[in-house]
Amino acid sequence: MSSAALSSPVSSGVGLRRALVRNRGALIAAAVLAILLFIVDWVSAGPLTYFDVSFLSSGGATSALAAIGQTIVILSGGFDLSAGAVISLVNVVLASSMDPMATGASILLWTAVGIGVGMAVGAFNGFFIAVLRMQPIVVTLSTMFILQGVTLLVMDKPGGFVSPDLGTFYLGDAITGWLPMPLVVIGIVLLAWFWLKGTRFGTALYAVGSDADSAAAVGINVVLVRFAVYVIAGGCYGLAGVFISAQTGSGDPLVGNPLLLSMFAAVVVGGTRLGGGQGGPVGTVFGAYILMIVVNILLVLNVSAYYSTIAEGTILVLAALAGSISHTSVLAVQLRAARARFAAWRAGILPSQLEHADRRLRIARPSPDQRSEMSPRPAFHLRNAETLRYALPAYVCLIIIVVVTQIWLGRTILNPGYWNSLLVLSSFLAVLALGQGTVILTGGLDLSVPWTIGISGIILAGMVNGSDAALVYALPTVLLIACAIGFANGFGIVYLGISPIVMTLATNGILQGCALLYSQGTPAGFSSPMLRWFMTARLGLVTPVVLLMIVFVVAAVLLLGRTPFGRRVYGIGNGLRAARLSGIGVERTLILVYMLSAVCAAIVGIMLTGFSGQASLGMGDDYLLPSIAVVVVGGALITGGRGHYLGMLGGVLLLTALQMLLAGTTLPYATRAILYGLVVLGAVMALRERRLQ
Amino acid sequence: MGIGLKVRRLTLLAGMAACAFSLSAAQAAEKHKIFLSMSYIGNDWQAEAANMVKAVAAHKSLVDKVDLQVQVAGPNAQRQIQQINAMVQSGAKAIVVYPISPTALNQVVKNACDKGVKVFAYDAEITEPCAYNVHIDQLEAGRVTAEWLAKKLNGKGNIIAITGVPGTSVDDQRTKAAKEVFAKYPDIKIVGEAVGMWSQAVARTELSKILATRNWDDINGLWMQVGCFTANSMQLEAGKKTSELLPCAGEGSNGGRIQMLPEGTEVEGAASPYAPLGAQRISYASPPYSGALALKLAVEAIEGKDVAKTTILPLPIVTSETIKLCDEGSWAEMKAGCNAFKPSLVSNPGWFASIFSDQTPEIGLAAALVGQPEE
Repeated sequence: MSSAALSSPVSSGVGLRRALVRNRGALIAAAVLAILLFIVDWVSAGPLTYFDVSFLSSGGATSALAAIGQTIVILSGGFDLSAGAVISLVNVVLASSMDPMATGASILLWTAVGIGVGMAVGAFNGFFIAVLRMQPIVVTLSTMFILQGVTLLVMDKPGGFVSPDLGTFYLGDAITGWLPMPLVVIGIVLLAWFWLKGTRFGTALYAVGSDADSAAAVGINVVLVRFAVYVIAGGCYGLAGVFISAQTGSGDPLVGNPLLLSMFAAVVVGGTRLGGGQGGPVGTVFGAYILMIVVNILLVLNVSAYYSTIAEGTILVLAALAGSISHTSVLAVQLRAARARFAAWRAGILPSQLEHADRRLRIARPSPDQRSEMSPRPAFHLRNAETLRYALPAYVCLIIIVVVTQIWLGRTILNPGYWNSLLVLSSFLAVLALGQGTVILTGGLDLSVPWTIGISGIILAGMVNGSDAALVYALPTVLLIACAIGFANGFGIVYLGISPIVMTLATNGILQGCALLYSQGTPAGFSSPMLRWFMTARLGLVTPVVLLMIVFVVAAVLLLGRTPFGRRVYGIGNGLRAARLSGIGVERTLILVYMLSAVCAAIVGIMLTGFSGQASLGMGDDYLLPSIAVVVVGGALITGGRGHYLGMLGGVLLLTALQMLLAGTTLPYATRAILYGLVVLGAVMALRERRLQ
Repeated sequence: MGIGLKVRRLTLLAGMAACAFSLSAAQAAEKHKIFLSMSYIGNDWQAEAANMVKAVAAHKSLVDKVDLQVQVAGPNAQRQIQQINAMVQSGAKAIVVYPISPTALNQVVKNACDKGVKVFAYDAEITEPCAYNVHIDQLEAGRVTAEWLAKKLNGKGNIIAITGVPGTSVDDQRTKAAKEVFAKYPDIKIVGEAVGMWSQAVARTELSKILATRNWDDINGLWMQVGCFTANSMQLEAGKKTSELLPCAGEGSNGGRIQMLPEGTEVEGAASPYAPLGAQRISYASPPYSGALALKLAVEAIEGKDVAKTTILPLPIVTSETIKLCDEGSWAEMKAGCNAFKPSLVSNPGWFASIFSDQTPEIGLAAALVGQPEE
């Protein structure tokens, strides 16, 4: 609301209204939180005391602080996957360097250490993203792996000591019985943000997030702004790490990792738009507390364990929907459009009701032979220069990795077994890359991949139960279910206007609950002999699935490169409005894209069931981040519109070959994680964006 | 719009609540209110453990005493902290918890203890001294299995090690203890090591990666926290005969147990590789009944009985010599010594078969599968 003071000298009523509109996301998040608090209070046995409030405030503080940092990154148009890893790192650094014998610990010193570590990581991220112009998602993903390794080097198991003084300070009361300290800490960070927002830097931040090119054109130093954003965000994660250290009084190398996904949900529920330029950290704080208080709601309502992820997913969708209730929301627009269509249909003037005459513009088009005379068809490498520039680096790195493997481990290049293993192990990600890649090409993201894989595998194994004949109906059933999942994702995104991250995250939770309910916790059944043969047998030198992969790759390239569907996908990714105005059925295409992604995930679920011989809960959990990473390593732009399937395939092969190399060594896991991150970072160095003109 | 508004809102709500009619908590006075706080339930072990806790609470000896509520915290320690606190607030007498972290919960657990709530951790440990812990000795698990393998190999050979989730105490203790044993045998070399995440599926991908540049013939033995079942399947796919399967020290999955039965044993529902192969194995497990036992102990503690702070469960060890197939899987039958279940009863080979305890006659196979207690 401080922005109201800055608004032009209009009447105060208009100013207030503008401020309300501008902060609508945050206000609605606050209202949702208030309602949830009220529900908790109403249903639980005793009244909500100061103690409850104090405890709730400390429970959500870590995610709130970290999510503030994430919000600032997202406002600048970026994305930071290293946030959770920074929290873990700060936690173990503090826990391993504090002396249990020393009496009293300097709160200021250790807070500064935590924030300093976070900012140092932020500077690392910022250097690669801002100065070397690399894509945030892949830089921060590499950082995440590197930090996870470093964290394990600092402390390889839970333990250590964090002075209770820190806990007394951060979890205590600022004003006894009235104001808990965590809220004060968050308040100070928010005040700092308001100060920052009022400065030139704040304006530049929003400008860069809205449109980096225009920002550069008006003289903003985009590199400096971007760099500073990651450093500031790193400081926020560092503070969150200090807070969780104070809260737990010890170190745990895994403590921060699971905070990552919910952080994005907090940002979006709080009204900040992914892609940048709109929203702010205040809403995020409410978003973080909304996600946290769900725990209490599930408890007071006594929601059974198997239903809890379903309930959480539903709450997430409802919160996001509540945030979009307005005249201009997607849902309202779609409803108005539907009404207009209905009216047109009654009046008989819908395009499909009119007589079919070709109303396309007639543009004089030179005949093919004429063109070849006027301008010769450019050579292949010129025609595809853009694609080659972004797809080739992955293949070059792949060759380097294979050569290194040959030198280090031997028995590689001339060993058909190596190549077969590489292709079989790549096949899962290669299929996922088409689905996730197509979603990313339209500027979205599909986080429901893990449990779409899981539930598909579980349903298939349960139906097949070792019988080849059962595949005949089990396969279509599973694929149909996947279509329904994808349709639900697409429907929520297109017609309800829910952001892809929130929608697919919610779907993932709901699917997890469904998988647990369906299997009662123990997935029954196993893969049929034919499916197992398909994934594990050898036909001469190759496994049958490799042959399918070749067909799949050709089909994928044709789908994205040679069909109207593929052209629509690229069109939407390059500009939603332009695509809509040029007559692309954006809604239908997007729904199809999410259906494609779900079907690809289901195919992976089927393949994994064949590969392992059985389905297990959580079998898809390890495929979410890699599915995004390979797409980006393969040269696609995370914001959509650019990328080629062959590049993504190169990314798949590169990452798989790298993992095979590391698995063949006897290096400790921590070292492997660091190497993995460094190689990915090096591989995408070639994908740097061109300098802004 | 800052912190002030939010605090005002909170105090307002608190004020409204104070005026509101609050429900009496006395209605549940007959039963002990006990909460189960699970971590992530997206894997087989957790779901099985949850089934067994529910079953023991539904057994006729406890059903009138216990009001059990099950909640899930997911993989996030922060949420478990908040969840435990909410449980304390809503009047828990005891909290049975699968701790996501052995250390992160210390403060909240201490807070719960101060309010007279008994906190029982199962499978993994909580280091806060006031908590009760029910688990196996992980060091022993690593040591015993490594010693078995070293003996099988006559102190000589190349082995592959597949570990658990890096950064956890359980994995750290098992792996360290095993490596200490292997270090005593200079001729035993760990030629490949990978992180298996305690999952058969991950074990398979990791083994596939290692074997891309190696041959099964170069390897003499396997030490895996989870994955022997998969490793045996992979060796058969690679054309090995059942008599040539490598000795494997590993987990207590039912699939692995069935493979340990002598080749040719008649087993209902068996189909290769989930079939008797005569595999040379030592099978150990962190038994999934630990949660159920923790619940029983919690009731005893509430009733004022003396309960030890740490209950170390006997390490369930089954070798190719002691493997025995169960007929029905009742507790009485398991007491008589059977330790593997027919695939027709347990269709998932990854299911954990170490469900027998002397101390839990309330639960048998039906408890682990569907949460149904024994008669």
